Amino acid sequence: MLEMHHISKVYRTGTVETHALRDFSLRVDEGEFVAVTGPSGSGKTTFLNIAGMLEDFTAGTYRLDAEDVSDLGDDARSRIRNEKIGFIFQSFNLIPDLNVFDNVDVPLRYRGFSGAERRRRIDEAVELVGLTSRMRHLPSQLSGGQQQRVAIARALAGAPRFLLADEPTGNLDSEMADGVMALLEDINAAGTTIVMVTHDADLAGRAPRNVQVLDGWVQETAEAIEPPVANRAPAELAVVGS
Amino acid sequence: MEFGPIWRASLRNKTGPVLMALQIALTLAVIVNAVFIIKQRIDNITRPTGMDVENIVTVQSFGFGDDFDLQESVPEDLAALESIPGVLAVTSSQHVPLSGSGWGTELAGSSEDGAPRVNGAQYFVNADAVNAFGVALESGRAFTPEDVEYPENFGVPLSRVIMTRAYLDALFPEGGAQAGATVYDNLGNPVTVIGVLDRMHGAWVGWDKLDNVMLVPRVMPVEFNYYIVRAEPGERDRVMPQVEETLLAINDRRVVKSLRTHSDIRDSSYEGDRGMAVVLAVVVGLMAMVTGVGIVGLASFAVRQRVKQIGTRRAVGARRRDIVRYFMVENWMITTIGVAVGSVLTIAVNYWMVVSFELERLDPLYVPVGILALWLLGLLGVAGPARRASAISPAIATRTV
Repeated sequence: MLEMHHISKVYRTGTVETHALRDFSLRVDEGEFVAVTGPSGSGKTTFLNIAGMLEDFTAGTYRLDAEDVSDLGDDARSRIRNEKIGFIFQSFNLIPDLNVFDNVDVPLRYRGFSGAERRRRIDEAVELVGLTSRMRHLPSQLSGGQQQRVAIARALAGAPRFLLADEPTGNLDSEMADGVMALLEDINAAGTTIVMVTHDADLAGRAPRNVQVLDGWVQETAEAIEPPVANRAPAELAVVGS
Repeated sequence: MEFGPIWRASLRNKTGPVLMALQIALTLAVIVNAVFIIKQRIDNITRPTGMDVENIVTVQSFGFGDDFDLQESVPEDLAALESIPGVLAVTSSQHVPLSGSGWGTELAGSSEDGAPRVNGAQYFVNADAVNAFGVALESGRAFTPEDVEYPENFGVPLSRVIMTRAYLDALFPEGGAQAGATVYDNLGNPVTVIGVLDRMHGAWVGWDKLDNVMLVPRVMPVEFNYYIVRAEPGERDRVMPQVEETLLAINDRRVVKSLRTHSDIRDSSYEGDRGMAVVLAVVVGLMAMVTGVGIVGLASFAVRQRVKQIGTRRAVGARRRDIVRYFMVENWMITTIGVAVGSVLTIAVNYWMVVSFELERLDPLYVPVGILALWLLGLLGVAGPARRASAISPAIATRTV
């Protein structure tokens, strides 16, 4: 489903180089629910951006759904993001001037579906997240949990192969976070692959598989991928149980 | 196309788009009416005068001596001026066409009481006037030396004249009047039209009867007159100084002044039109610029405000051209509302000017042309900000700040 091999990402500012990811390799199979954890600055978001094809990487190869997407052009990357990936963002990223219906409609319009098809998919997605009665509400008229549900509906409406969730409960209180997490578990149970980036250990613990990113390296319990000794970070790498 | 969502989103942030649409409406109304007026002014300036303006030199002779007699002086002056190498023809005239100064007259096409009278300009000229002005004789004949009269006072009735087709048609609105027709002066005296000119302009370029001109073969008993000296093509500037020298050599008991080319006189008369056209063109340019800057500003502001939104759109599948198109469509909708309101405003402003200032009614074709121009201006204005928006990285979507 998702295969990253020896991915590195270097940000250059003048003469300063910052290694956000180093020799990062990860494989996520279809139907998995993977939690990616790590402290701030560890490279979680860079991983998420690369996994979601939101930004380029410096070296390595990336195969998504059996397709090498390492060197695709901008239009092709947009198409894959639209068709195969659903995004859930920490701050929901709903468009404040659009109501629930129009927000969920955004990716579907770029997909080129007919009006009737879009309407059907929106109705189904919004019903799945339990917000049918809020269809004409603006984001500002919804609670944080409801807004994140709309964002999930937006991510699901295009029937993507996998969901990328960036701290999906980061802006929610514990009750709302629990509801959103339960929804994601249901979605995964229905067959959608989910990769969730979070710094919340409790939340990560609910995912069947955990991956930890530290200083740009990836670690996981079952298939730890050791960095080359010469490049190893001085701090001992934590291991998170799955 | 995202007309629906864009429209609904705009309704929630009305102030900027509404102000922009109003500015576009005002711009359309001002630009269309201004361009229409500019076109009218240019048409005025460039309309054919019927005369060989580019090759004519004019000069005024003002006798001041007790023994100066214009009627005696004119034949001698004409002969001397005609002998200047490069001169084609010369006539005396009490005024110069297109100069803003002249004599008007009033004629009728019938001797009946209450017959409508039509105004026109008249010029007292000599036998070679048709050639000297370079006007084309449509029918009839030019004057001969025998036609030229030297009356002792202004009360002597006219006997024969040459007039423009426009004047003749105005006198005989039923049409068909030709050389040989009889017209009547303001005392009811008959006057024979011996020749009809294709076209000739009179004195006052802002007068709606500028085309009504009559030539009278006569030298009046006054102290001053003008000479209209027509040079061969390319010879005008060489002939010009010789005109003044020649007249002074014949008789120095007069003032010879106002030596000017006819094209200079014409240009002076149209200075108002030219100035109006330039001022309005500047207004049009400034309005277009201000509106263009406004469009750029509003679009740039919208882009800055929506960086996260644009990144999110890109993240969920929008291509760069989708982002460009979004801003183009949004601007097009604002512009369209603006030009819709502006079209009504344009017609209203024109109606007000027609009623208040007797301007011509606006050619309706100007409105769609103005709409197209503003659409284009809008698209050009938004192109830069839209391109910058499309360059926003989708990775912005995952930033929390």
